[in-house]
Amino acid sequence: MSDTTVSSVATRVGDNVQRVDDTAKLTGGAMYASDLVFAGMLHAQVKKSPHARAKIVAINTSKAENLPGVHAVLTGKELDYRIGLYVADKDILAKDAVRHFGEAVAAVAAESLDIASRAVDLIDVEYEVLPPVLSQMDALDESSPLVHPDLGSYDYVKASFSPQPGTNIPNITKIRKGDIDAGFAEAKWIVKREYTNPSVQHVPLETHVAIVEWKAGDEVTIWSSAQSPFTLRDLFCRAFKLPHNKVRVVIPHVGGAFGGKAGIHLEPLLACLSRKAGGRPVKFQATREEEFSLLPCRSALTYRIKTGVDADGRITAQKLLMYWDSGAYADYAVNVTRASAYSAGGPYDIPNAWVDAYTIYTNKPWGTAYRGFGHVEFFWGLERHMELVAQVIGMDPLEFRKKNLLKPGSTTLTGEKINEHTGDPLKCLEAAAKAINYGRLTPEEEERQARTGRRIGKGIATLHKAPAMPSFTTTAAVIKMNSDGSVVVNIALTEIGQGTATVVAQMAADRLRFPVSLVKVAVERDTDKDPFDWQTVASKGLLLTGNAVIAACDDLLRQAYSDAAQVLRAQTADLDHDAERIFIKQRPEESVTFAALSIGYVYPNGNGIGGPLIGLGRYTAQGLTSLDKETGQGLPALDWTYGAHGVIAEVDPETGEYKVIKIASAFDVGKVINPGTMRGQCIGGMIQGLGTAQCESYIYDGHGHLLNPSLTDNKILTSKDLPEEIECIAVETPQLDGPFGARGVGEHPMISVAPALANAIHDATGAELTHMPVRFEDVWRAIHNEQPIDTWVTKAPAV
Amino acid sequence: MNDLFKYRAPTSRAELFSLLAAHGEGARILAGGTDLLVDIRSGLVRPELVINLKKVEDFSELTWSQSEGLIIGPATTVNDVLHDAKVRDCYPLLADCALTIASHQLRNRATVIGNIAHASPGADMAPGLLCLGARVQIASQRGRREVPLKDFFTGVKRTVLSHDEIVEAITVPPGTAGSRGSYRKLKRIDGHDLALVGVAVTSKDGAVRVGIGSAAPTPLLIEGLTDADPADAVVAAAREAIRPISDLRCSKEYREYMIEVFVRRLLEEVR
Amino acid sequence: MWMSVEVNGHIYEREVTEHWTLLRFLREDLELTGTKDGCSAGECGACTVMLNGEAVNACMVLAAEADGATVETIEAEAAKGELSEIQAAFARNYAVQCGYCTAGMVMSVRELLRHNPKPTVAEIKEGIEGNLCRCTGYQQIIEAVLDVSGQITNETRGGLKYV
Ligand SMILES: Cc1cc2nc3c(=O)[nH]c(=O)nc-3n(C[C@H](O)[C@H](O)[C@H](O)COP(=O)(O)OP(=O)(O)OC[C@H]3O[C@@H](n4cnc5c(N)ncnc54)[C@H](O)[C@@H]3O)c2cc1C
Ligand code: FES
Ligand code: FES
Repeated sequence: MSDTTVSSVATRVGDNVQRVDDTAKLTGGAMYASDLVFAGMLHAQVKKSPHARAKIVAINTSKAENLPGVHAVLTGKELDYRIGLYVADKDILAKDAVRHFGEAVAAVAAESLDIASRAVDLIDVEYEVLPPVLSQMDALDESSPLVHPDLGSYDYVKASFSPQPGTNIPNITKIRKGDIDAGFAEAKWIVKREYTNPSVQHVPLETHVAIVEWKAGDEVTIWSSAQSPFTLRDLFCRAFKLPHNKVRVVIPHVGGAFGGKAGIHLEPLLACLSRKAGGRPVKFQATREEEFSLLPCRSALTYRIKTGVDADGRITAQKLLMYWDSGAYADYAVNVTRASAYSAGGPYDIPNAWVDAYTIYTNKPWGTAYRGFGHVEFFWGLERHMELVAQVIGMDPLEFRKKNLLKPGSTTLTGEKINEHTGDPLKCLEAAAKAINYGRLTPEEEERQARTGRRIGKGIATLHKAPAMPSFTTTAAVIKMNSDGSVVVNIALTEIGQGTATVVAQMAADRLRFPVSLVKVAVERDTDKDPFDWQTVASKGLLLTGNAVIAACDDLLRQAYSDAAQVLRAQTADLDHDAERIFIKQRPEESVTFAALSIGYVYPNGNGIGGPLIGLGRYTAQGLTSLDKETGQGLPALDWTYGAHGVIAEVDPETGEYKVIKIASAFDVGKVINPGTMRGQCIGGMIQGLGTAQCESYIYDGHGHLLNPSLTDNKILTSKDLPEEIECIAVETPQLDGPFGARGVGEHPMISVAPALANAIHDATGAELTHMPVRFEDVWRAIHNEQPIDTWVTKAPAV
Repeated sequence: MNDLFKYRAPTSRAELFSLLAAHGEGARILAGGTDLLVDIRSGLVRPELVINLKKVEDFSELTWSQSEGLIIGPATTVNDVLHDAKVRDCYPLLADCALTIASHQLRNRATVIGNIAHASPGADMAPGLLCLGARVQIASQRGRREVPLKDFFTGVKRTVLSHDEIVEAITVPPGTAGSRGSYRKLKRIDGHDLALVGVAVTSKDGAVRVGIGSAAPTPLLIEGLTDADPADAVVAAAREAIRPISDLRCSKEYREYMIEVFVRRLLEEVR
Repeated sequence: MWMSVEVNGHIYEREVTEHWTLLRFLREDLELTGTKDGCSAGECGACTVMLNGEAVNACMVLAAEADGATVETIEAEAAKGELSEIQAAFARNYAVQCGYCTAGMVMSVRELLRHNPKPTVAEIKEGIEGNLCRCTGYQQIIEAVLDVSGQITNETRGGLKYV
């Protein structure tokens, strides 16, 4: 390997350790689910609904079944299983009705992809097309058709969610803090406005892919690009009523996920096809087009914010109404609603708050988890609103935010008391503001403005997020020593690009006081071999798994010390170790190597003692509680990561075209484990955030047909779209229960980028932007006081 | 790709023409394939036979002469044009247009003629070639004919070509060499994207020409203007010619507005 | 169609499915799965390979068109088990996250450096414009290219700031 500036023997957390998975990925050797091929493997294809809402009158599969090479054809009628993370509302294939454009209505497994495609073309489906309900605001109307007339009969997780039978509402979450009326009565100003954003796609470069084999005796193996092997297994077993020890889930390398691969997706369908095809493995990889509507997206949101402010510029009350568009199924959207509700006010001290957050069914592809879990969406409105309030009361937006930030002693919306260890939102905000010279133009910027005729503006925005997870979330790690003294770590937290394997190796190395080169983190995740982890989501991996890894290292060392004490005839308290050996502190020459202890020590006469050194570590989120269903009070947050962005934008005031000159973002991560991977996470999230801010959006016609299911018309940012300057700032306020003081930062960089950008554009031009994404045309319309673009492209061909 | 088709790669014109004549509508020409393969994959076209013309001798030619001007062959890629010294010298506008097409690796395959023959309203080579007075050389077993580019397009993805005909060359006359000209393309992002509108303006020897893409079913050319015409008159002529629509990429009003802005700005640049 | 193609220095003679793309041929017939499929539509660049020495989207080329041609893929980049200079620079600069775009990205960087051994930042952005990456935000990839072309010093190396 070539000479590198990053050390491969560093042992310290906080150093730039090279990624442990990069060689495999750089040489094409890393195997992803899409690369796997098995003997006898069949290929699946899916027949999809061209309608947003329709009755299925008849499906004729006989031509497909008779096509040579076809081994199984399935329709919804044969499949009596309901799937759902929190609300069991989804059939494996649509049964009597389709609820969104692109929904799966039939499927085929055949010897080749080409045959499977032809077979799907030969399936005839007769529909009775019905008028769809497309906007979540319309779906609230009493006259609206019901997306799920049987909502009242579905199973759901009762501790956390509240479906409303007879409506399109699978959940309402309420938060009540203080006295909202008294708060507004104290206010000098009351400012309200509505903010909106559409559904968007995760766009992992690797689309969803899975291979499932359901052999005789109900032995099921699933290879999948999924984020969360154990949750996948659990949901799968629940749907099919199978014991967990019959189902094995294997996750190889994953080509990006961003929340879209959490939960369960195509695996049940492929399992049924495999079973029907006599147990042959069946593979399916979504096309890019299918990724947009056969698989889920991020929910749209309408956010109504009403804020009361007193004469000093202090927020006295806030009423927050969230209307989440979950699409056709509840999936994660109900939990996005819940997690967003308890974060809804941002990192601000709000004495009196009232949140009603609704999840609402519509006839569109369904919403799921997406990096930020609701926070990207609601912070769009919230941080635009803070700007508006500052403007209305005539206070500088930075000062207004600073005045209202959470500080030690403040309480969150759910009544959690903030202290000096929680993190420092002020430091983040000040760092981001300073990095862009907030509040003025530098002489160079003045000159540039004069030279180009474009206006330069600056904007800031804050953010916070806690992991959205059950209060009792647990994880475990196993660390096994090899007979040469190197170790292998097994965890079920998946490596989806975020760098988990590298920071886990680093934390283990640091705790063991070994060089990183002695630590391997197993690549594949396998529910038969790895210890339990709830899910790879929510930015909770570093904290929970990190603590479990530390405990596992300690356990391994304890065993090694105990065996060494016997060998060296010493007490464990007399011992110390380096990367190779355990020795007696006062006589270091008396020692035994880890290698000699690793799989059991052997005395010169052949006697053996001890045994393989295998450390086990477990960790459970500490002290969290459920939320009260009426008031939302409780303790939901494992940790709060705070952050802030500063954006400098340059706008052509005539055309609305704009460019981001600089983005500077600061996050209080507690402790940086690896600066290189952390910077990668941050920049990746900041640019993904700019994509969501600038151009990404599902576009439908008035019949609910998705018009842009492709990278041709759903653009994501390219290298040419980068800001001229990107600055990434770490704040380190140690998290008391975090491993080495660290807390998560996986999602945060993407949150609040959009309002920071829009605030900058507003600063440059006065454009009042309330809809995200902010396209050039939106800016042009705002500047020229034209009507906003109609969200629905209505001139569609009739169905 | 679900649909089965056969593939042939003739090496001579005669073989190419007879394949086309024999297969009629069922045959499709493959140049760079960057439009054709997308259309086949989406089911928009379902050919029985795909004929790769890149193996025909001398089809990748890109030549310039004082007498005939620029001759662009059927296998000449967009990057060939972009990097050609003569193009940069005589028709820098064409390099401008070429650079806005897709990405580097796609431009290594995409051909200039494919861009024109596909007849998308937003084809980025069209506004520049229109302004420069390009002519389309058409050939088939039946013989040859020449059509000015402005008469080549007949509708969205429709041209004057019959099924047995190919574009054998696009020629750019020597008379427009040295035109001052520039191209502006409105996109949703800075990175590769299709044109929401594309405007080229040239000026040579007092004559001003405006080429506009994504503003009507076909790319448009506005001629008969001179350096003496005030900007308002040029804008009025453009407004008269265009027939933009609202679609998922942007609205009709924004298209109209941006075309006007681009025409004004480009006029200032080239005058 | 029967065809002969040289891939990574090996001659393959094969009956090729005429409607298959070069991408499918490489991945499914030759089982060279390092080259990835991110869209099959020319948009993402994950499938970028060298065809007769030029970077192309393998999903936008028919396999049959490679008859008689030379193809190089990511599998040939690390000769003799050693990372190439480009790969090593990617590793040093954290230019890899999920890795799904990486093969195509490395191919495009190779193409860029072949034409332009010391590209500016703007030229690098232009050179990898056709390679979408959803994870890295491109910055550390750009830094890797500056690094491998000898244009990074310790002052210009991007880093995390601490406050
Ligand atoms: C990701 C992506 C991005 C793109 N971005 C752009 C862009 O920014 N701007 C733009 O203008 N285009 C863009 N395109 C479209 C396309 O790349 C260009 O139009 C390209 O120039 C087409 O050339 P080709 O050689 O690939 O055409 P092909 O696909 O080979 O052919 C196109 C059509 O023309 C016919 N044809 C080709 N040659 C001849 C001939 N000699 N005689 C008769 N008929 C012929 C073919 O039969 C076919 O119908 C993009 C395409 C993709 C996939
Ligand atoms: S797979 Fe070829 S460009 Fe995306
Ligand atoms: S590293 Fe994941 S797409 Fe680039």
